[in-house]
Amino acid sequence: MLKYLSPQNCLSKGKKMVSSKIQNSIYNISISTVVPGLMSGHDAVQELSAMDLAMKLHYLRIVYYFKTPTFDGFTILKIKETMFNWLNHTYITCGRFRRADSGRPFIKCNDSGVRVIEAKCRLSLDEWLETKDDSKHELLVSNQVLGPDLAYSPLILVQLTDFKCGGKSVGVSWAHVLGDAFSAVGFINLWAQAMIHSYPAQPLTMAQQHNWACDLQNPKPNPYPLSVKRVDPVGDLWSTTSNFKMETASFYVSTTELTRLQAQICGKKVDQKVPEFECICAVIWQCLAKVRNGSGPKAVTICRNDVKTRDKGIITNESQTIGLVKTDISAQDYKPFELVSLIMNKAEDERMKIKEAMDRDNELPDFLIYGANLTFVDLSDAPFYEMEVRGQKPVYVNCYIDNVGEEGVVLVLPSPKGCSDGRMVSVTLPENQMAEFKSVLNEDWAIA
Amino acid sequence: MFNSTKQLYNYFIKHVTKLFIITLIFAITIQTFNQLPYNLFNHFSLIHTLTITSLTITILTFYFFNKPRTVYLIDFACFKPPSILRVPFATAAEHGRIILASQPKSIAFQVKIFERSGLGEETCLPHPLHYLPPDPYMIDARDESEIVIFSAMDSLFKQTGINPKDIDILIVNCSLFAPTPSLSAMVANKYKMRSNVKSFNLSGMGCSAGLISIDLANNLLQVHPESNAVVISTEIITPNSYIGKERSMLLPNCLFRMGGACVLLTNKRSQKKHAKYSLVHVVRTHKGSEDKSYRCVTQEEDKEGHVGIALNLDLMVIAANSLKSNISTIGPLVLPISEQLLFLFNLLGRKILKLDLKLYIPDFKKAFDHFCIHAGGRAVIDELQKRLRLSSEHVEASRMTLHRFGNTSSSSLWYELGYMEAKGKMKKGDRVWQIGFGSGFKCNSAVWECNKDIGAPNNSAWDDCIHRYPVNEPEIVKI
Repeated sequence: MLKYLSPQNCLSKGKKMVSSKIQNSIYNISISTVVPGLMSGHDAVQELSAMDLAMKLHYLRIVYYFKTPTFDGFTILKIKETMFNWLNHTYITCGRFRRADSGRPFIKCNDSGVRVIEAKCRLSLDEWLETKDDSKHELLVSNQVLGPDLAYSPLILVQLTDFKCGGKSVGVSWAHVLGDAFSAVGFINLWAQAMIHSYPAQPLTMAQQHNWACDLQNPKPNPYPLSVKRVDPVGDLWSTTSNFKMETASFYVSTTELTRLQAQICGKKVDQKVPEFECICAVIWQCLAKVRNGSGPKAVTICRNDVKTRDKGIITNESQTIGLVKTDISAQDYKPFELVSLIMNKAEDERMKIKEAMDRDNELPDFLIYGANLTFVDLSDAPFYEMEVRGQKPVYVNCYIDNVGEEGVVLVLPSPKGCSDGRMVSVTLPENQMAEFKSVLNEDWAIA
Repeated sequence: MFNSTKQLYNYFIKHVTKLFIITLIFAITIQTFNQLPYNLFNHFSLIHTLTITSLTITILTFYFFNKPRTVYLIDFACFKPPSILRVPFATAAEHGRIILASQPKSIAFQVKIFERSGLGEETCLPHPLHYLPPDPYMIDARDESEIVIFSAMDSLFKQTGINPKDIDILIVNCSLFAPTPSLSAMVANKYKMRSNVKSFNLSGMGCSAGLISIDLANNLLQVHPESNAVVISTEIITPNSYIGKERSMLLPNCLFRMGGACVLLTNKRSQKKHAKYSLVHVVRTHKGSEDKSYRCVTQEEDKEGHVGIALNLDLMVIAANSLKSNISTIGPLVLPISEQLLFLFNLLGRKILKLDLKLYIPDFKKAFDHFCIHAGGRAVIDELQKRLRLSSEHVEASRMTLHRFGNTSSSSLWYELGYMEAKGKMKKGDRVWQIGFGSGFKCNSAVWECNKDIGAPNNSAWDDCIHRYPVNEPEIVKI
């Protein structure tokens, strides 16, 4: 059964191994496909923008945890029926990749569908969540990537895991080429709506293309922007191998702790107010600078929701700002407050430069954006907890970005009880830096 | 004027035998009266009159009670699979590719079949077959049987208003799934049928079993007066997905889809005005005595132990031969005298006079208004269209059934009939020829005559999509 999960396209090589005890608690895995109920895509062609292609090597893995009795009485066929109604309105995500004659990938909306994985867990939901191993969430969501058979790789995989107590987890793997985290969460929330037979008036579409004229006259092309890392050509297997094993850890920062951090940062400037996101960024930036001992990071990337350009019913990569903050000296030598001002005021939006770099020649380079520099992504406004099933919100949502660069990625997520209750922070770093980072965070800032 | 002349000519040809006999009787009667002297009648006493009268009455009674009972088809219902079970091309190709990952040649073969199959994007497979790999249990096969059969039966009861307790004969045919208790027992249990219902369960008889069941029902209705018979034709696909790599066995995976039909037949004369069709002929041809025909479709294990249905390369040739045999039996029963004479002259010319003539295939369009050709695959329909010299309009029902529902085995003939009704093509007096092929090798035919003009039915399997048909399916579909 497991061989149909195509081990050659699983990202297990660059990841810290989950303890075998936890791994053995997942059993009874079966895989199937759910297609849109009615012919929806009609083989339409969906072109991809430069920004989409720049993000193609990244994958969002989101796990929603639901307590019993949310899914009680839902047979697998009933769940699939709701999915099939949902996918009628999101035919783009059910398509598959093809390449044009020029080599540029596009999506053929051929109603292939999403892959559905069913599994069972020997532990109860509480036992599972209490386990200390942070990488356990990876077992509840597929780690597949696109390719090597690009034309037959699903863009979305959904894993439904049943816990011993009757709780259920829904693990969604989303290819970032389709859109950013806000798009992904919007897509998933449409499923919650479909379960109560509330359907959108229009199917989900991708953002309109804006063709920016590129400077073809320029004989000397600009160097690649600092926010991207160009990698060797990946061909049809959209993943990269890294020298380091990456590890993800999540921790909760309560409102009290946030207030304390803000106070620590502002110091004597009592009339200054530091926003929570920038506060967390500055703290982590300094900790990592200390861990890496002056060898960087001298540039960080800040990704935020571009509310002005984001429309409802659209999946896109165009509505996330990719801001670059440069420093000349190591972040260790800055005061935290200075780091905050840098982040707030000196972040240059590099989206145009990235698009120009991608469209520049017909080569279509392969980029890593998250992790090219230490990347901070603000997802505190993302409506993760609006995924309500039968009126029940998820008790916890875990989110991480897979296949990132070695500099590390930090996601700031809402806490289960809402933004007024603090934040969840998910940090992905090379394995060998994680322990030291945790201890520095604890010592300098008293966050466990 | 030409139209009425043509109609007159057609009517004459249709009833020439009866007209000939009536003319003969008239001739004899007139001759007899001429010969006999008038005064002979005075010598007839009462006894003579009584004897002749009672003899006439006895002969007529004997004739009326022993002539074959007309079997009427009151109505039929086809199973409409829920669209959640549909299999678009791209998904079928993807699953095939993943399951056969180590066999690129088999993958290429399968893709080639999908591209040319003539199936559309709405054909359905049962839920267990959507898994990678499919791993169905017996209970899944029973579930599929229940979904298909009970759904179609419920529709039939609703359409006809009949009570399950009024069913006297129950025949179920399903070739590849034969559990104990049987599917007919399952139906009797579900609908609480009478304890003296005559139930039959036919298995292993292939795609032509639908018409075999009709023949069986017809024979039983000759023996049991005033009876209702329900015939259920289906093929349960769940246990039969082939997961090996032999190319000769991959074809059924690509073509067979979920489907089923229930038909209500009766011999009650009171039902004649409600019935849609009356059964005119059933002709069965069995070529099993020839080894090649017998072995051309076999269920067997491949080298790795996976069970599948192997189709021989000369399947089309064997099907054509079996059709020829069937035609030679059914031809004289249905063809007008003109065509029969033409065939006779052609036969004499070729066999006796040894002239270099091509075999004359009679023009069956003169005998029938509608054709239901088993939707076994595009190749079958193409071959029959060519051999019987049919227009694309005549085979439209078969092609569109293949497109919308796939090859549903023995029930495909009923989907085709349902298509024609949904299109409003059935008029009183129209004759329909159903041709089924199946393993064995068998070719079976049934001829129905339409009893009344049939308007498009409500709640049929076609009602939500008929407006989209006919579609022009390209020769090769690019996946």
